[in-house]
Amino acid sequence: MNMHAGNTEPDTEAELLARYAAGDPAAARLLAAQVTPRMFAHALRVLGDQAEAEDVTQDAMMRLWRIAPEWRAGEAKVSTWLYRVVANLCIDRLRKRGSVALEDIAEPADPAPSAMQGMQQATRLDALQAALNTLPDRQRQAVVLRHIDGLGNAQIAAILDIGVEAVESLTARGKRALKTALEGQKDALGFEDDTI
Amino acid sequence: MTRSDKNTSDTEIETLFAAARSAPPAVPDALMASILADAGQMQPAQPAQGGVFSWLRALGGGPGVGGLVFATCVGFWIGVAPPANLPDLAGQLLNLQSSTDIDDSDLTGFGWDIEEG
Repeated sequence: MNMHAGNTEPDTEAELLARYAAGDPAAARLLAAQVTPRMFAHALRVLGDQAEAEDVTQDAMMRLWRIAPEWRAGEAKVSTWLYRVVANLCIDRLRKRGSVALEDIAEPADPAPSAMQGMQQATRLDALQAALNTLPDRQRQAVVLRHIDGLGNAQIAAILDIGVEAVESLTARGKRALKTALEGQKDALGFEDDTI
Repeated sequence: MTRSDKNTSDTEIETLFAAARSAPPAVPDALMASILADAGQMQPAQPAQGGVFSWLRALGGGPGVGGLVFATCVGFWIGVAPPANLPDLAGQLLNLQSSTDIDDSDLTGFGWDIEEG
């Protein structure tokens, strides 16, 4: 698997946060450019709603700015801390959403596919998102963190505040449930084989 | 489901995950602008580098500078109008002597010099 966790060095993020806290006006822009895309993508995949994902991302980033002066380097990775905040905010949103039917959830915006990627990829991503939306909340978070965000089990455990074994269980069950949810969409997915 | 089916299934779902990873959603410009505006509002002020303020900080800030000014004023006032019972430390240190004219007419009138002859 292409593990692309931690696209930026954690030390770089902590250093930028320290520079921000010290009043460096350029640090916020650099740090936001590094972490915001990952947090927004995660929130969008988990919530399946563009507006809610934007709210959660902005809220999480505001908490980061607020805690910056008290940040103690070395205790936690900035991105892990942020993922954790985003994950908790997503859970809050999902619980408030309660019994809202899946069909009432707004279709996610296409993740900006380029012309080269074509309609097939957009269709597949929509099908994946629709299948993700059917998973229980924690399974969905674990699957997104593991297979889309590309994080390791230890980091996911820290983010979800559970043990590594629980992460393995969640991701395994989530992946199986995802396959089941995708069974009925093989035409949309455009795979040649007749099974998912 | 055969073993082959399962493997194919894993491959296909990995293809979906890879597609999702390769096409992350773009962060809306308005969202990034809001985040940076929040950052600007919440950023601690940058401390001044060098200059008078750094000297003042080195002296202990406001209380330190206030104490210094007070001590200077008291010292100046003592120099201008020293208390009566204050020893003349400066004179002692510099070995200064003071002279006083004494009117000795009374001593002459006492007569001791006449008796001597």
